[in-house]
Amino acid sequence: MTAPLLLVEGLKVAYHRNALALHGVSLTVAPQAIVAILGNNGAGKTTTLRAISGFIGLDNASVVGGSIRFAGARIENRPPHANAARGIVLVPERDKVFPNLTVAENLTASLSARANAAERHRLEETVFAFFPALPNLRSRLAGLLSGGERQMLAIGSAVLCNPQLLLVDELSLGLAPVVVEDLIRRLSALRQELGITVLLVEQNANVALAVADYGYILESGRVVLEGAAAELRGRREVQEAYLGQTSGAERRSYRALLQDPAVAERPRE
Amino acid sequence: MSDRSALAKELSLFGTPARRVRLALALAVLLALPFLATPFQLDLLNQVLLASISALAVMLLTGFAGLISLGTAGLLAAGAFTVGVLFREIAAPFWVTLPAAAVVGAVLGLIFGLPSLRLRGLYLAISTLGLHFVVVYLGGEYEARQTLSTGIMVDSPSIGGFAVSSGRAWYFVLLAFAALALLISVNLRRTRTGRAWRALRERDVVASALGINVTRFKLLAFVISAAMTATAGALFAYFRNFVSIDAFSLYLTVQYVAMIIIGGMGSLAGAILGAAFVVLFPYAIEAAAGYLPARFGNMVFALDYAAFGVVMILFLLLEPEGLIGLWHRLKNSFPVRQAGAKSTTAPR
Amino acid sequence: MSLQLLANVIVLAAIYALVSSGYVLIYRVSRVLNLAHGELMMVGAYLLVALAGVFPLNPPLALALAAICGLLMGIAVYAVLMRWMTGEAVLAAVLITIALGILLRGLTILIWTSQQFYPGASFGWRNPPVHLARGVQISSASAALVCLTVVVYLGLLVFLRFTRWGVRMRAAGQNPLLAEQRGIRLHGVYALAWGLSTFTAALAGMLLSLDAGVDSNMATIGLKAFPAALVGGLDSLPGAALGALIVAAAEIAAIQYVDPLLSDVVPFIVLLLILAIRPWGLFGSREQLDRV
Repeated sequence: MTAPLLLVEGLKVAYHRNALALHGVSLTVAPQAIVAILGNNGAGKTTTLRAISGFIGLDNASVVGGSIRFAGARIENRPPHANAARGIVLVPERDKVFPNLTVAENLTASLSARANAAERHRLEETVFAFFPALPNLRSRLAGLLSGGERQMLAIGSAVLCNPQLLLVDELSLGLAPVVVEDLIRRLSALRQELGITVLLVEQNANVALAVADYGYILESGRVVLEGAAAELRGRREVQEAYLGQTSGAERRSYRALLQDPAVAERPRE
Repeated sequence: MSDRSALAKELSLFGTPARRVRLALALAVLLALPFLATPFQLDLLNQVLLASISALAVMLLTGFAGLISLGTAGLLAAGAFTVGVLFREIAAPFWVTLPAAAVVGAVLGLIFGLPSLRLRGLYLAISTLGLHFVVVYLGGEYEARQTLSTGIMVDSPSIGGFAVSSGRAWYFVLLAFAALALLISVNLRRTRTGRAWRALRERDVVASALGINVTRFKLLAFVISAAMTATAGALFAYFRNFVSIDAFSLYLTVQYVAMIIIGGMGSLAGAILGAAFVVLFPYAIEAAAGYLPARFGNMVFALDYAAFGVVMILFLLLEPEGLIGLWHRLKNSFPVRQAGAKSTTAPR
Repeated sequence: MSLQLLANVIVLAAIYALVSSGYVLIYRVSRVLNLAHGELMMVGAYLLVALAGVFPLNPPLALALAAICGLLMGIAVYAVLMRWMTGEAVLAAVLITIALGILLRGLTILIWTSQQFYPGASFGWRNPPVHLARGVQISSASAALVCLTVVVYLGLLVFLRFTRWGVRMRAAGQNPLLAEQRGIRLHGVYALAWGLSTFTAALAGMLLSLDAGVDSNMATIGLKAFPAALVGGLDSLPGAALGALIVAAAEIAAIQYVDPLLSDVVPFIVLLLILAIRPWGLFGSREQLDRV
């Protein structure tokens, strides 16, 4: 079994030094895998991503326990540019592009770290191959793009940074299902052809489980269930709590389902 | 303003015997000082007391309510000029000019405070900066057109027939005013007003959602702070027997901002400590100037500027919580090590 | 308005525009208001005085060296002082610039005393008047300043629009977090902004000193130019140019038709007006107010 690219163990994050948002989250991301983190609002998904990407300090929060290992090295509480330099690139939920720059300028801004002109060109060509709509929008101001176009630009900009691990926060938020489907396919292609590992945070479990290999479900700052995507999809509990397929009974939180003695948690692989 | 009930509340704070003893000792020392100090030292003390009043006012506005204002010099000028103009034009006595100065200050405070209803932070500071120049211009205009000289001479005040002109007399007068200012500040902090101001400082959007009348409390902060500052300006006019617009520069405002930074934001004791530091600083520099080659030693005011800039930078960079923060850090630098305690540092 | 008055307005507008470009650069890129800008401009002028003393027979060299020193000075100020405030509250950073301004004022007086200097005299240059059409005349230094302002503005606009560093600076100004994440080194971008800002400040200071000499009060012009930047919208260069025209026109008109003593306060009256009517400036955006 190859060593995981990202290993998070017992992660505890606190806001303002005393309000715990994550109570010991553990997850593993294998190289070139697509892993999804699911859960409702406030479950701690975004906090987890921000802790991994290094943005956490800016929210007046910090990692107060546990560890985050990327390719073996400890990275908790490091600043964003340090993690970006290691190859962890985040596509944030909001403010994901530079609104008053054109699409071309947005891409140029991301490219700036590459020293080699040939390398720059190759990366740019790659991004345009994956997102063929972008070249036509070169001179459009990023703030005027549609939601789907903006997401494409955001992901494209992130790819230009030559990431090993791509963190995507709420891919589908505010986008039409058709657009989301398209984005999912491209994400999959990115993994397939560029070997980029993806960690996806999603409220829409259907979307996430359609593309992910493995999934974690967070609730109130804890992992309450994990498993291969296919299995998660098939479990009645997940279907009821997250995929919106109830049998008429009221929607219950997964936590409540766990109390049900008929349900047993699957051990970690 | 403090009333009987607030006073009683205050005094009830000093309930413990230990506190009462400390308070009595402090009072004894304060009352004995003017008889122990040299005239020079007494003058320094008086300057510190006078500066404390405005320092407290700035602390109330900026440290408590979180409203940035660069209007201190303008308000001091307004108080001083009220005294000067009333004295010169109608020979008004002390008990008329002082309240008049406070009223002028309050009105100006209202004007300075109006932008705060729409603007925050940097933009608010900029608006008060603009108002500063307007006030300074008006003062300069009066001086140029009405006095034909570089300032207005003012006689020493007489309180109840007793002329306040000696250092000792001034000491007790200023001590009384400073104590009053402190009492008002302490009182405000503990009451609903103080809590509202604290909420304002955090997030005024949230404060208004909590039902706090943001407009009223913002303006109240400006009005009270300005009235206090203008009163201090009026006292300054009498203290120096002279009013001139040249004394009220932007640098003066910066000095008062420095007082609350050096003293420690949000702390009343900090305001007084900061006032003492900033008032005494130029004298320390002047003393040090004697050790420098004559070329530099003779330009004391420039030395003062440069040294002051350095000190302000040092405090902002290294000790943003001021002398009070330094004091707390020193007190806590001998902690008892807790077994298994993990230290976590906030990321940059 | 007579043509001579119009010429005076243009000259004054050029001064304010050149100076406020510095305010805009730093604010746009790092959201910091550099209230030491006037003092930095003054230091630039004194640098010329010093270099003019060293190279009295070679004005172009002295000017070029002074300008380069101006650029380096800005980078140094960032590297030594301002970088520690990156990420901290903006108001604290602004307070530090105020303190820096005070420090610089004290230092310049200590080094050069408060007497007036005329670097032009060191070069043996008389600053002859330039005769424009219909009897209108301005000094050579003023004419040079107007031309320089145009060149500087065009240069800055081209730089920001078309070069990679310019894109980085604009990106960092819009979203510093995202910029950092995309590999843009914020410290480098901010240092460059400071360097360019003091470069333009030094140019302004130098030309002003060639025109009217320099003494410790020159920094006041820096503060008077600030309303021009605010009127335009603190993060817009074209806005600053327009703001400079407005402030200069108001000031000259007030001096001419109302009261000469108004000269120092008119810019701030304009400032108060724009804050009352449209605080985010002519070319700024409303969101600016909330970012503070």
